[in-house]
Amino acid sequence: MSLEDIIQETKTYYCLECGKCTSVCPVAKYDPAFSPRMMIENALLGFENDLIFNRELFSCLTCYTCQQRCPSDVDFPVFIRKARAMAQDNGQHGICAHSGQLQSLARLMTSLDIKQRRLEWLSDEYRTSDDSDVLFWVGCAPYFEPIFEDIEFNALDITKASLKTLNLLGIEPKLLPNEKCCGHDALWTGDIETFKKLAEHNATQIKEAGVKKIIFSCPEGYRTFKLDYPNYGFDVGCELQHISEFLAERIEKDGLKFNEVKKKVTYQDPCRLGRHLGVYDAPRKILESIPGIELVEMQYSRWDSICCGTSAWTNCDSCSNMLRAERLSEATATGAETLITCCPKCQTHFRCAMIDKGEEKRSMPNIEIMDLANLVASAMGD
Amino acid sequence: MADVKIGVYICHCGLNIAGVVNVEEVARYAGTLPNVVVSRDYRYMCSDPGQDLIKKDIKELGLNRVVVASCSPRMHEPTFRKACQDAGLNPYLYEHANIREHCSWPHATEKKRATEKAKDLVRAAVRRVYWHEALEVKEVPVNPNVLVVGGGIAGIQAALDIADGGKKVYMVERDPSIGGHMIQLDRTFPTLDCSECILTPKMTDVGHHPNIELMTSSEVEEVSGYIGNFKVKVRKKPRYVDLDKCNSCGDCAKACPVEVPDEFEMNLHMRKAAYLPLPQAVPAAFAIDKRGISSCRIACPAGVNAHGYVALISQGKFKEALELVRRTMPFAGVLGRVCTHPCELDCERGKLDESISIRALKRFVADYELRVGREKATPIERTKEDKVAVIGSGPAGLACAYDLIREGYAITVFEALPQAGGLLSYGIPDYRLPKEVVDNDISYIQELGVEIKTKTPVKNLTEIFNQGYKAIFLGTGAGVSQKMGIPGEETKGVIHSLDFLRMVNSGVEMKLGSRVAVIGGGNAAIDAARAALRLGAKEVAIVYRRSQVEMPAIRTEIEEAEREGIKFHSLAAPAKILSKDGQLSAVECIRMELGEPDASGRRRPVPIKGSEFTMNVDNCVIAIGQAVDKTMLPKELDYTGWGTLEVDPVTLQTNIDSVFAGGDLVSGPADVVAAVAAGKEAAISIDRYLRGISLTEERQITPKKVEKVSTEGVKPKARAAMPLLQISERKGSFAEVEQGFDEKTAIEEAKRCLNCGVCSECFECVKVCEQEAINHEMKEETVEIEVGSAILATGYDQFDPSVITHYGYKKYDNVLTGLEFERITCAGGPTQGQIQLKDGREPESVAIVHCVGSRDKNYHEYCSRVCCMYGLKYAELIKEFTKAEVYEFYIDMRCFGEAYEEFYQHVSEMGVNFIRGKVAKITDQAITEEEKGKLVAVAEDTLLGKIVRVPVDMVILCAALQARSDASEVASRFTIGQRGDKFFLETHPKLAPVNTATDGVFIAGCCEAPRDIPDTVAQASAAASKALSLISKGKVTTEAAVSHVDETICHGCGRCEEICTFHAPTIISKNGGVVSSINEALCKGCGACAVVCPTGAISIRHFNMQEIESLVDGLLEVYHG
Repeated sequence: MSLEDIIQETKTYYCLECGKCTSVCPVAKYDPAFSPRMMIENALLGFENDLIFNRELFSCLTCYTCQQRCPSDVDFPVFIRKARAMAQDNGQHGICAHSGQLQSLARLMTSLDIKQRRLEWLSDEYRTSDDSDVLFWVGCAPYFEPIFEDIEFNALDITKASLKTLNLLGIEPKLLPNEKCCGHDALWTGDIETFKKLAEHNATQIKEAGVKKIIFSCPEGYRTFKLDYPNYGFDVGCELQHISEFLAERIEKDGLKFNEVKKKVTYQDPCRLGRHLGVYDAPRKILESIPGIELVEMQYSRWDSICCGTSAWTNCDSCSNMLRAERLSEATATGAETLITCCPKCQTHFRCAMIDKGEEKRSMPNIEIMDLANLVASAMGD
Repeated sequence: MADVKIGVYICHCGLNIAGVVNVEEVARYAGTLPNVVVSRDYRYMCSDPGQDLIKKDIKELGLNRVVVASCSPRMHEPTFRKACQDAGLNPYLYEHANIREHCSWPHATEKKRATEKAKDLVRAAVRRVYWHEALEVKEVPVNPNVLVVGGGIAGIQAALDIADGGKKVYMVERDPSIGGHMIQLDRTFPTLDCSECILTPKMTDVGHHPNIELMTSSEVEEVSGYIGNFKVKVRKKPRYVDLDKCNSCGDCAKACPVEVPDEFEMNLHMRKAAYLPLPQAVPAAFAIDKRGISSCRIACPAGVNAHGYVALISQGKFKEALELVRRTMPFAGVLGRVCTHPCELDCERGKLDESISIRALKRFVADYELRVGREKATPIERTKEDKVAVIGSGPAGLACAYDLIREGYAITVFEALPQAGGLLSYGIPDYRLPKEVVDNDISYIQELGVEIKTKTPVKNLTEIFNQGYKAIFLGTGAGVSQKMGIPGEETKGVIHSLDFLRMVNSGVEMKLGSRVAVIGGGNAAIDAARAALRLGAKEVAIVYRRSQVEMPAIRTEIEEAEREGIKFHSLAAPAKILSKDGQLSAVECIRMELGEPDASGRRRPVPIKGSEFTMNVDNCVIAIGQAVDKTMLPKELDYTGWGTLEVDPVTLQTNIDSVFAGGDLVSGPADVVAAVAAGKEAAISIDRYLRGISLTEERQITPKKVEKVSTEGVKPKARAAMPLLQISERKGSFAEVEQGFDEKTAIEEAKRCLNCGVCSECFECVKVCEQEAINHEMKEETVEIEVGSAILATGYDQFDPSVITHYGYKKYDNVLTGLEFERITCAGGPTQGQIQLKDGREPESVAIVHCVGSRDKNYHEYCSRVCCMYGLKYAELIKEFTKAEVYEFYIDMRCFGEAYEEFYQHVSEMGVNFIRGKVAKITDQAITEEEKGKLVAVAEDTLLGKIVRVPVDMVILCAALQARSDASEVASRFTIGQRGDKFFLETHPKLAPVNTATDGVFIAGCCEAPRDIPDTVAQASAAASKALSLISKGKVTTEAAVSHVDETICHGCGRCEEICTFHAPTIISKNGGVVSSINEALCKGCGACAVVCPTGAISIRHFNMQEIESLVDGLLEVYHG
């Protein structure tokens, strides 16, 4: 893909150079060197090298705030994604957090004869069925556990809570033993080849599974299946739902009721679920339906909410941490005792920030953080 | 058709065609086609020598068909048709092939194939032209009158141009005054002329012009006809002010109690319901704004004008408020206390926070009269011969008497008891309804001339008729208590509620024991319980068989009873009365549970076996219902199965024609306002009966409810609390519990009213208007006018920036739109031209934000064209009149008009800061000391590549101009097109900018696209000249290639009528059947009707089946010899 193709595809030529993107950008707020407008301008003037050899290329959160405010409807996050792919082609792999091990993991999974033990955690406590026409997408959770041990976060808890909830609603979903990474991070770091391999594998597996619906607890997997797979020609041919949408539908249609949980909470809209896919109401509907839950919104919420500071395990610098400090201050300012989110990555990043021994530690606010699935499971207990 | 002679001409169009297509080869080829007698190619066929070639061949070679292959037919078909006509050939025997747009241009790189395609196109044209027939063009005369829709600057200019040209103009304007948006502007860029100064003379000219008929408060409802001959229906909304009589003195506005936001002042100011639409209004007359009847008025069973008296109270006009209540019924004091207030339940304010305390306000004006003293009422003059008797002096009877005496009848009320008032005097205890209040309301009725004969029971109606009474109203109520039918009910110490309350209210000494049980859950039960407490009972308990929420008593009464210490035993019913020594000792009750719903929709209470319990009591009051006492009534009347009187539900007439009845006697026990309503209804019937007119005709008129209540800018405010007598002071005393509002509270509470219907019809304006110009009875009317053409100049709406939430419009006080700022700088505006913040301070800094809703794909993609310039104008004015710093946040400065760039330079010289960048957000969240208390505009200064935060006091949003919200309805009414952005579509953006898809309908000004005043005026004059040239020509030709119905096939299915956008086909009766008939003047020849015609009866002339098929065959090289 050439620079010209990127410009055409993301409608960058409509740019009025009004600077609204840069002035709403959460990264630009803390990092004056980062300017979406300048990146677009460089591209439009054909200064390819100034774009793809710019180390800031990997600082964009692809949080979609700029795209949503852009008067010219320029799709900057996709522009960034494509530019990163160009950078990759030129040997620029950007700055990757965690020594790039998460990217390596995805690449490893593209190997055809790799044997995974990805369902070993599954105990008799959870009921699954190979005949079910509902599939639950487990995602990367089993791999996160060893990596994020130090921040006391086990992403599998979200998976388990989701399964428990589904079981209580009479659903025994199918799990794929040979599921692979959805490719979200590969795609957004510009590693299109890895993404395509993973997507092809997953799409084939799902078609063979012959299910009618896939439920996701991770917004990134959900987005990737919903928007990116079809975009790259991989059709899974069934209904896709985030677990919050699934539960909200049950509340609306079947009058699903919860037990009382006394808690004052606030809610972090994950970028992928919120701005990328427009799912703002479903998680709130669930929170409002749980007796005893008092939901207080942060100063910036819904389409206006602030990203957790990193995406696709790329650049996680001091700017990311300042963003987290800002968002966590907003969360604590609501007086809520718990910050609810729907994305394991939001949780990873906020937890990491709060446990961090670094410079920002002193000013980092502290709040309990929990996935919506865990809250729901506790409100559905027997 | 052997003698068809076709001439074919291939145009080179310079090199446009010849550069690609081998024109000589095409011409040679054309010569080989059947019936072609000559074929030529030429450099420019459209030139005079080119056209002469055709003319010469027609004359010399006897051509009777012509084909030209050149550019688009849109461009030159008319040219060549004209050439044929000049040479004596019918222009419809001509055919055009487009070998430029369809051939040489798109196929510029493939010359050989382009030549082949040109041959195909020419061959098709030759095939088709063979079948062409000569068609006749018709002419119709043009009506010289012109309709101008919209009274803004565009409409004004167009109307004056036409009227000055001596032709008649009907100007239709939706608002009560012309002037449009321009009259709202303070100054106009770049010259800074005062907008009022330059527009007012033109407005006055329109008002006085002998050739202009101005129709304000009017809208076009329907348009029919065609160019030269339109019929237009105009709906004229009533102004309620006679334009000829009003001298604009403004007395009506001074008297008017209703205040609503002033639209002309962009809601920055209030105006009255009777108002002058704008200071320079044309017509120069006040108007009364009515938007329907307020919900409270509709809800009132007695039809009391609640909105009216609330509005009057809000202005301190207490006396007038009471007068207004009494215009409908006499019981202000009584119903101000005991009404069940359906008005408050429907009050629109209740949907926002809490309903207005309407009942308490009515009471307030009655109390006010008692406090300041009342002048004796003037007796009503008797104007009617007939006498009417009212039997029973309860609220129904007195309401009936009150209405009839005001009709001029002589009225006598017969009352069996010593006191008038029925249950008002004998049923409701003093702590709720003091006797002097009842007496005051009744004596008012008496002062008007109603004779009340107390202690006069009536047993025999004949006796009354014998005394000369011509009609009787029976309102004797439901005066007997219902019995429980349980053992021991007759025991000493058991008393029925009506008897109990009658004794309480007559001041009879009563000895009650210390423990009293009251059975029942209605108002009588609560009244009895609370009265018992006041008579000294220590413990009072209410026993009710359903749950407490189902008690029919007034909620506040139940609450007060509880507060006073009365116990409630709900879901319990007495089973037996126990006695000791012949004296009541206890009540045995049984617990109930709720079963299936009964007829009333409430769940039926069912006894629980074995749940009996005993309450030791000294007295028991039974208040489970009331019934009609038939023994007191004449035998000849009919009754219902419920024991109530049988009457006609609408007229309240009994089975005896001259006897009417209402109140509890008919309805069974109900509330006071229902009784008053029944009395009033009966009064209407009695009057009609005595005047010998129909009792039923036009009886029930459905009032027009307010459709949309404006709640904009209304801040939440709780309703005023009713001050209550201390609980400790209530025991042993019948002093009134509710204390009533003081003046201040009453006014404050009345000011919470949303004025839903705007005008409250209090008629204060009528009282003060010396010119007698006000007529509240004016009705909407529809007039039909005939015009030859129409000019639409309907203007624009300002984009509402509150949808861009991050700009904080309507959230922050000092974020304004352009039009709001116009009013602020205007000397006649709400701040007398002082540029100031909401708190009155002068701003120290102002941000002007460009492109708000314009040049933004999320809202409007287009540039609104005027914002850069008016933004500069604001900067100029702020710099001139204040010391403020000004920041213009722009993307591109578009200063394209005459002297615009110079104005930009002038403003730059004044030291205005220009920041190139779109504002990301306006926030009040300060992050530095300097930002505290300010609004911060955040943007990227794109020229510096730096994010800036600019703290300012005021933000002006240059909001986009957008199409009118009802543009689509107007477009469909006039059958014209719209663009994607909903602005009206012109026929050609360059060559026909004021024409539309409907011939004879022209557009001017911002209804076509955003534009400034100079362009608008120029366009308006252009539209006027189009209309004048049409009139000047005097006739129009109609298209001959129109649809045609073969009446032998058509069976009048009507599909053509349904599909046609231009209303050309109509189904008519003909020779005993129905067929479609085409109005050829309306038909555009689009062919939609022919497509839907199931029988094939419709064909389009010049495009009939044969012609189309030949063309297609020609393209496909299939030749039918």
